[in-house]
Amino acid sequence: MIYEPSPASPDAVSGFVGPGRSAGVRAALLRRRSRFGDGAYSALRWTGAGLFGAVVIGLLIGIGSDSSLALQHSGLGFIWSGTWNPAAGQYGAGILVVDTLITTGVAMVLMVPIGLGTAIFLSELAPRWIAGPLATLIGLLAAVPSIVVGLWGLLVLTPIFANQVEPLLASVPLLGWLFRGEAYGPSILLASVVLAVMTLPTMVALSGTAFAAVPVADREAAMALGATRWQVVRRAVFPAARAGVSAAITLAVGRALGESIAVAMVIGNRPAIPESLTTPGATLGSAIVNQFAEASPGIGTSSIIALGAVLLLLTVAVNAGGQALLRRGSASRPGTAGALR
Amino acid sequence: MSAHGFKHTTSGPATKALSFRVAGPVAVLAISVVVAACGSTSASPTTKASTAATATPASANLLGASYDTTTASSVTLTGAGANSIEPFFETIFYQYNQKNANTTVNYSPAGSSVGVTDIQQGTVNFGDSEIPMTASQLTAATGGTVLQIPVDLGGVAISYNAPGVPANLKLNGPTLAGIFDGSITNWDDPAIAAVSGVTNLPNLAIKAVHRADSSGPGYDLDQYLIDTAPAWVTAIGTSTPSRTWPQASVGIGEQLNTGVATYISQTSGSIGFVEYGYALQNGFVNAAILNSAGSYVAPSEKSIAAAGAQATSLSPTDFNVVNQAGAGTYPIANFSWTLVYQKQSDTATGIALGKLFDWVVTTGQSDAASLGYAPLPANVVTLAQSTILELDSSAGTPLFAS
Repeated sequence: MIYEPSPASPDAVSGFVGPGRSAGVRAALLRRRSRFGDGAYSALRWTGAGLFGAVVIGLLIGIGSDSSLALQHSGLGFIWSGTWNPAAGQYGAGILVVDTLITTGVAMVLMVPIGLGTAIFLSELAPRWIAGPLATLIGLLAAVPSIVVGLWGLLVLTPIFANQVEPLLASVPLLGWLFRGEAYGPSILLASVVLAVMTLPTMVALSGTAFAAVPVADREAAMALGATRWQVVRRAVFPAARAGVSAAITLAVGRALGESIAVAMVIGNRPAIPESLTTPGATLGSAIVNQFAEASPGIGTSSIIALGAVLLLLTVAVNAGGQALLRRGSASRPGTAGALR
Repeated sequence: MSAHGFKHTTSGPATKALSFRVAGPVAVLAISVVVAACGSTSASPTTKASTAATATPASANLLGASYDTTTASSVTLTGAGANSIEPFFETIFYQYNQKNANTTVNYSPAGSSVGVTDIQQGTVNFGDSEIPMTASQLTAATGGTVLQIPVDLGGVAISYNAPGVPANLKLNGPTLAGIFDGSITNWDDPAIAAVSGVTNLPNLAIKAVHRADSSGPGYDLDQYLIDTAPAWVTAIGTSTPSRTWPQASVGIGEQLNTGVATYISQTSGSIGFVEYGYALQNGFVNAAILNSAGSYVAPSEKSIAAAGAQATSLSPTDFNVVNQAGAGTYPIANFSWTLVYQKQSDTATGIALGKLFDWVVTTGQSDAASLGYAPLPANVVTLAQSTILELDSSAGTPLFAS
């Protein structure tokens, strides 16, 4: 019972150090306190926080008020109505939402295993002379602007997908059903591949950081218990890094959902229900890119901004969902992370 | 991110968790910033010095022949608008700058609709649109009366990349409509064989590509299909042409002429529409399209000029040169319109604008043919010049005496 941790507070901890010493430190700090420096820092802090808050709130108000016209025109059906055809005055984000979720989902399915594998390799297995240069390369990849990735998709990947990859995938028995239809090149699949490439560096960097942050003692303890290298990763490193890894995935999902320019260049811009992964599609972001310019003043512009609002809601919802899943996941497995500590 | 990033950094996940919560709003901001940034390319001196003017001007310059003395101090004019006119503007603005170093023109070819909205909001000195502004668009202009000057005559090529299909394949409205509404999906379709008279067309899937953004060429082709193919009107449910491509759920959409041209050049079986200037630059094979006189005509400087010659009563409200009469007339043609405010708040800028576009519609036209456009007909040059003469100073007095 002696070792049972009490609901510890910082006071209790400082009390353990001893009141005399604590008071001495406090006195020293008080003597050194610069009224001006503290004031300036405090002002900076509040200005920064206030400005940031004001920008976000202003953005939300702007998006809300500018999209109100579209919501009046189409009602809440704007969010799930299937037809996006500005030429006929029909504005509905439903198909765009579906395509956005599909491209992001497929991109994550392609990217997460590769990203995690790379991060584990870099932080746990790779010799230093490989890990260093490889990490630098991944950092470079992260710095490539999305329009350049889009150009690469458009100029290099599109013909390869149209002539080789898509016909090949369609000819695979059973799985080919997922890739049936005309091999245009630009498609949901190609957009997903481009998104996977764009989000990979973020995933590797962030989950790599999370793996590296796991204390060496954890690994040594696991090894001392006779764990193999794989078991160390599986039982000690991975559970401890779970929060970081899921943060990395959430960030990648957020980027994939919102990516616009590169997607618009490779998805084929067809706002219709996709028959398969190789049919062209259109996401919320790509529709905004393509149509913000023509948007006729009034309902057209308002509908484009409403697409932005839907995208914002979608991102928030997906992030919140991810957080909830994570919380449930860690709650249902109590003590996993600490099992080897 | 360096190699050290992997080595036992303790702060990582916590700070990142904060940053992704704001990713949504930041992403929306980023979209607008990136889009704005992408549209802007400068047409300042870079290329094509070799295509210097040698042909005789279509008509005399109105505002003085000596360009070196047009402005005492240097003026930079900014414009935005049609993507289709970019090859023409890029070349002649460069040449104008060579003749008159005091005037530099930056043109952003982001699309006709951008030209209209930018001039409405007064963020540019001139806009450009393949379709003149409508009455309601003119009312929404913040700087008063907008003058619309016809500056070039172009055509819309139906270009394709289909091995085994001969050049200048004959197509009419109904077959084109079938290709773009999804009812014709293969090059060996009997309808294409019947119209073209080609019997050995390859068994090759048609990949139709259209503009994903709004466009002048899309509007012109829509107009031609509405005029010639009843099935098209049924399919799109309207007889009013639209800049936004009305059948977006068939084939694929690409951005700007360059996007469509890139897709055509690298995809076997593809067919799409681009401004003829782009088709010429890319060396595309183009379809010969049925005109109202019953003959099949491929796009060329001559056939596009023949369409322009029909525009005897051209004005911003009577601008349609699609499906015009004449055996040699290419049926999908249009004029491009430069948009400027009548009242110029800055006199030096107003004078520079007037002189520039006077030159564009006269001497500048000599470059049109080599770039895939046709020189403006004489009556259109007169219309353009009389419009330029309407430019006023901020006090409301004419900048140029007629």
